[in-house]
Amino acid sequence: MAAANQDTTRPQNTRAIMVFLQSHAPFSNMDDDHLARFAEHATLRFYADGDVVLSTEDGIVDKFYVVKQGRIRGERHNEKADKTETTFEISQGECFPLAAIIGERPTRTLHRAAGDTFCLSIEQDAFITLISESEPFRDFCLRGVSSLLDQVNQRIQTGAMASMGSSISLSTPLERYALRNPIVCNPDLPVRKAVARMHENNVGSIVITDDVRHPIGIFTLRDLRTMIAEETCSLDEPVGQIMTKNPCYLPVQADAFDAAMLMAEHHFAHLCVVDEHKRLIGMVSERDLFSLQRVDLVNLARTIGTATHIRTLVSLRTDVSRLVDAMLAHGADSGQVVKIITTLNDVTVRRVLELNIKKNDPGIAFTWLTFGSEGRQEQTLLTDQDNGILFQTPEGMTDDQVREKLLPFARTVNDELAQCGFTLCKGNIMASNPKLCLSDHEWDDWFIRFIDASTPQNLVYSSIFLDMRAVFGPTDSLNELLDKVLARIQKNALFQKMLAGNALQRKPPLTMFRNFRYVTDGKKHSLDLKRQGLAPFVEAVRVFALANGVKNANTLERMSELVGKGIFDDKDANAWKDAYSLIQAIRMRSHQEMLERGEELTNLIDPNDLNPLDRRILRESFRQAQRLQQKLEITYQL
Amino acid sequence: MLQQIKQWIARRRAGITGNIAPENTPKPKTPGDQLLTECRLIVLDLETTGLHPGKDEVIAVGAVAISVGAIDLSDQFDLVLRRPELDITQTVLIHGIGPEALTQGHETEDALLFLLEWMNGDPILAYHSAFDQKFLEKTLKAELGYTQNHTWMDVADVLPAFFPDAKTGGKGLDHWADYFGLEVSARHHAASDALATAELTLIALNKARKEGLKTLRELHDKLRYHRRLRNIHHN
Repeated sequence: MAAANQDTTRPQNTRAIMVFLQSHAPFSNMDDDHLARFAEHATLRFYADGDVVLSTEDGIVDKFYVVKQGRIRGERHNEKADKTETTFEISQGECFPLAAIIGERPTRTLHRAAGDTFCLSIEQDAFITLISESEPFRDFCLRGVSSLLDQVNQRIQTGAMASMGSSISLSTPLERYALRNPIVCNPDLPVRKAVARMHENNVGSIVITDDVRHPIGIFTLRDLRTMIAEETCSLDEPVGQIMTKNPCYLPVQADAFDAAMLMAEHHFAHLCVVDEHKRLIGMVSERDLFSLQRVDLVNLARTIGTATHIRTLVSLRTDVSRLVDAMLAHGADSGQVVKIITTLNDVTVRRVLELNIKKNDPGIAFTWLTFGSEGRQEQTLLTDQDNGILFQTPEGMTDDQVREKLLPFARTVNDELAQCGFTLCKGNIMASNPKLCLSDHEWDDWFIRFIDASTPQNLVYSSIFLDMRAVFGPTDSLNELLDKVLARIQKNALFQKMLAGNALQRKPPLTMFRNFRYVTDGKKHSLDLKRQGLAPFVEAVRVFALANGVKNANTLERMSELVGKGIFDDKDANAWKDAYSLIQAIRMRSHQEMLERGEELTNLIDPNDLNPLDRRILRESFRQAQRLQQKLEITYQL
Repeated sequence: MLQQIKQWIARRRAGITGNIAPENTPKPKTPGDQLLTECRLIVLDLETTGLHPGKDEVIAVGAVAISVGAIDLSDQFDLVLRRPELDITQTVLIHGIGPEALTQGHETEDALLFLLEWMNGDPILAYHSAFDQKFLEKTLKAELGYTQNHTWMDVADVLPAFFPDAKTGGKGLDHWADYFGLEVSARHHAASDALATAELTLIALNKARKEGLKTLRELHDKLRYHRRLRNIHHN
């Protein structure tokens, strides 16, 4: 009798409210006693569709609300457009108005019931007691939705970490690493003396600096070996003759991720770290970054980059997948991970090209272009080929003659890339397609036609060809081409408007009632995270980027540049970036899970398989996509 | 809430509350000019051993109060009365309150007195209220000799009066709860059904306000009119 069950002493309705609260964050993390306190002090109110729940004229907010059933819409009047905009949607299990009750001020947003709605509320004094006693509740109220995002990221990390067992963060700034004090010399020093200095200090490299300590070159033991073996230079000549010029460097504010990416791209084991005046202040090595990790991005990139046979490249693909797991575990966000995948894919593509040139050199310089997600540096494990070739026709040859030489080469490369896991493009958007293996003039004509004759088919292709990047070969001719294309689009308001109209074709998967709208084909209850979730962001951002002369193809970076140009509001852009990254994160996690189960990768997920927190965040992310599309509609008056 | 009852019974036993006799409980209020947005309403549901007030008994009372247009969950009544003559074990009479805390034999009376005091004479709403009214009146009379008339209103009448066109597919509590998409936590549990009934009442009161109904009397009159209309159609 003494150990009377707590549950039976609480009234049924109190228990029922506790059960309801427990299925939603932050209540899911709160103690039973605190939940019981909430339930016992709560008041239940009803609002019919359209009823005002909280108004800006109500004075200081004195209640904290949780939606028990139905939805609440936030409304603000947009003076510019002279219309009312929905700024947020709060649905079952979610709380409001956080900022106002914490700030002890009136709300700045009209809260209106969207559909018949029941809300639980507690008075301010009960709210304050709860905040002071429950840590999860306090954390949530003070940090709002960002704490939810943290929870998601934490879970992504712990999930992946279980198999890794280490917790160093890639976001750690370089200044927190013990930077080596680099051994330096000036370029006039004879090689013999430079080597002696390296020997005295027992190091494998020396940085060559100028009078103001700017790093101008690097010389390593490997360079010494090559020099002696190939007799390229004598030991008495100045080290400036033989050093590797323009060494890679990063500012001290950069983080470990930036350093790892730069090393992976260039296959360097060392990077110079400089201050704001670009003066050398230290060195960071691959080993410094990855001393605690088993999976090594730089090493993997180097192994790929030096593989001597296509078979090796194929076998390395599983390592790429393992690395993605590891990166998620080490705190890389989805934006970082897609860049890692893209970098490793780039290295693979380059290596396949190099191996083929060695075997069978077409004898003509060319630039290997990638389009679409690879062009945007947004590849995940599920990826297919979208590529093309840009060349400059040597004198005395015709474009067709060059093409004749390049096409068989491109065919082999496409096939070998397919063996490495880059699925052949169903639409034949590949370098071996004669229509996409073009000279600089031909590409220019191609884009003129593309922009002037904005046929529906062309608009569909805009997501591929207007996100373009060079992976291999000279980049100057591509830059010239891009400048011309951008200038044309900026002048062509009609094309912009059609692009915008096309970008609105893909609606975020939310119904009028803010429930998920499922794909109509295939499985029931599934969402296509790529086509329905990410595409609305990518497409809308592309329109704004192209219309405003942003050359970058990466969606997140395009958004940053649009903020810089004053096109996007800083806060809006951050919300959109977060939303985009979270959809991407959920998509990648689902890919990793499919891979573990040995299933074929798809972009389809059933939101019912997600936990309530992820579902809520997914819904909020889709709503952000709707807002971005609204901006497009207003800008282009669609 | 049990704590409240225990304390109340303890006070009563110790003679602190004074001699609350059935005749000293709060007077039932009649529907007058009380504003619907301000008055307190009781929404009640009984669990019984069967459907016949003549031979069946009340097992549990669940009730919530609507005050100032909202359900105040700190003001609710949730009690299981197991009548000794119906209970095989004959021990735990008031569920959750051990027999050691009470002197056996008077629990039902005490609980009913507490219910009368808690209701404070406010109008009582219930779903198919005639049923609950008969059972409660019979029990109050048998246990306490209490015979005062309370104001009862039937939520099963209130809803069609305000939502005449609703296609509910039936007249039951479940039909209306489904129609408005309510989630009932534990159907046929007295307190849970009382809360669902109260939620439906809130929906109806919201509509009443929009139709310009202000006072308890206006609500009462509308129900009477609606009932008469229905009877005419039926005859």
